[in-house]
Amino acid sequence: MVNKTIYEELRSAGYSRRDFMKLCSMVAGAMSLGGVPLFAKSVSVSPEKELTKTVAKALQSNFRVPIIWLEFQDCAGCSEALTRSQSPTLVDLVLNKISIEYHETLSAAAGFQLEANKEHIMEAYAGKYVLVVEGSIPTAEDGLHCTIGGRSALDILHEAAASAGAIIATGNCATFGGIPKAKPNPTAAKGVWEIIKDKAVLNIPGCPAIPEVFTGILSHYLVFGTLPALDSLNRPKTFYGHTIHDRCLRRPFYDAGKFANSFDDFGARNGWCLYKLGCKGPTTYNSCATIKWEAGLSFPIQSGHPCLGCSQPGFWDGGGFYQGQSAPLDRPTATAVGAAAVAGAAIGAGVALNNRGQKRRVQSTENKRAE
Amino acid sequence: MNWTEILEFSRGPFFNVALFIFVAGMMYRLVRILLLGWSRDRVPGKGSKLWGSIRSFLKGILILPFIPWVKNTFTKNPITYLAGGIFHLGLFAVIFLGTPHMLVWKSLLGFGWPTLPVPIIDFLAAAAIVAMFALLINRHIHPVMKRITALGDYLNWLLVFLPMVSGYMMTHHLFFRYEVLYSLHMISVNILLIWIPLSRISHFMFYFFSRAIHGAQFGKRAVTP
Repeated sequence: MVNKTIYEELRSAGYSRRDFMKLCSMVAGAMSLGGVPLFAKSVSVSPEKELTKTVAKALQSNFRVPIIWLEFQDCAGCSEALTRSQSPTLVDLVLNKISIEYHETLSAAAGFQLEANKEHIMEAYAGKYVLVVEGSIPTAEDGLHCTIGGRSALDILHEAAASAGAIIATGNCATFGGIPKAKPNPTAAKGVWEIIKDKAVLNIPGCPAIPEVFTGILSHYLVFGTLPALDSLNRPKTFYGHTIHDRCLRRPFYDAGKFANSFDDFGARNGWCLYKLGCKGPTTYNSCATIKWEAGLSFPIQSGHPCLGCSQPGFWDGGGFYQGQSAPLDRPTATAVGAAAVAGAAIGAGVALNNRGQKRRVQSTENKRAE
Repeated sequence: MNWTEILEFSRGPFFNVALFIFVAGMMYRLVRILLLGWSRDRVPGKGSKLWGSIRSFLKGILILPFIPWVKNTFTKNPITYLAGGIFHLGLFAVIFLGTPHMLVWKSLLGFGWPTLPVPIIDFLAAAAIVAMFALLINRHIHPVMKRITALGDYLNWLLVFLPMVSGYMMTHHLFFRYEVLYSLHMISVNILLIWIPLSRISHFMFYFFSRAIHGAQFGKRAVTP
């Protein structure tokens, strides 16, 4: 099992070569979403076709890569999204048939048996396995807010990260702390990349992360053995290079100034822009508007709900979900503004009265001198 | 610190602090000026002060800007008059009738109003920015303007220009990522808010006082201003 290539593994699992080539083209498709200029430049045939060949070659010769999937302060939503994604072949092949070795929710085994398997994989595949983290890590009180098998999440993460070949943080919790990190953040929750500093952590933020993005990243790793190019927040540029607003199907309405003013007015019924209803699309980087969900069926904005900005850092504290994006984050209270006004007026009055007093004194001395 | 954090800071605490300084500063200026006292106007009353004020506002805002040739100000300084007018018109349209800005007012005041489509606002904003350049050049080459211009005036120009150009770039997604432009826009707006009470830009408030007072003086004397 250990020494089989991905292709051999799939063949022994009952997949035909045709199925395999289908998978390869799907993987290639998933990776070339943002266009792969490297291939587009060097070949005369269509880049997608060439990429499919590359993928097929790589999967035929590369050995399978085991995945250790850790869950901490999460809701298992990212796992749920992945298992229920509507591109079942791709996800099924990549995750179940190819690689997942340890997953608290999905693994058939449980308890000590599963933990023992994890230990074994970490030893046998040291420096090769992919560590996937879902959920934030509590750091308050030595991490006792989240323990698994008697050990803290912090401890488990450090151990698993030490000999991982690549680390992928999936979902907003594992990347930027997500909902557990929302104010007042009682567990001092942190994302993986705030804790693991010595290795690159690839972030796939989202609530949940888009399954196709995850499989795309994993495919990239399987084919090239490296993680794709990342931006300043360690997100893969291919999938997080554009804002939702840039690719939004309601964008023409924004440009034309046609906005829905409530969830049940003429504009809302006719698919106008949801900016006024609090859409965070302009500052949110994700692929929802292009890949969409449920096999490209729809995504929140298409379904009539403004973007919450769930793939951005601190999205839970980033202003009201139904408050326009341009509005200030916290509305200053009338009392505070009033206090500022009174303070300004008081200082002004003080200075003015002082000046008057001075004027009077000068006048009286001048009067005396005149006398 | 990444741009998302900078944006959070400039939209959140920095904006609030700037707003408080702006409110406190304007109140300070207002109280200081009102307490300077009034010199007694000994002219015997021939007409209504109130009507004089109203008339002054009506003519100053609704009539004269549209028939500029009757004013000496126009014939003598057409660039200042036209570019200044376009600039102020664009500025007001963007601040009060642009959708994103209306949402700011809505979040502060609690109520909103209908807005203009992006292309119209966009045109007015672009016109205002072009007008600002015309005013800057005019300030630099006009013999009189040159003499009465100090460093503070150029600073006024710059601090008004920055929010306008960053806002324009933001709506068109020019050169930088959206959150970078948004952060720069908010930072420049916050700096402008702090700067207004310290500068002549405070005329946005005192303009109304001076018009009312001059109108009243003319009204009392029963002369048409």
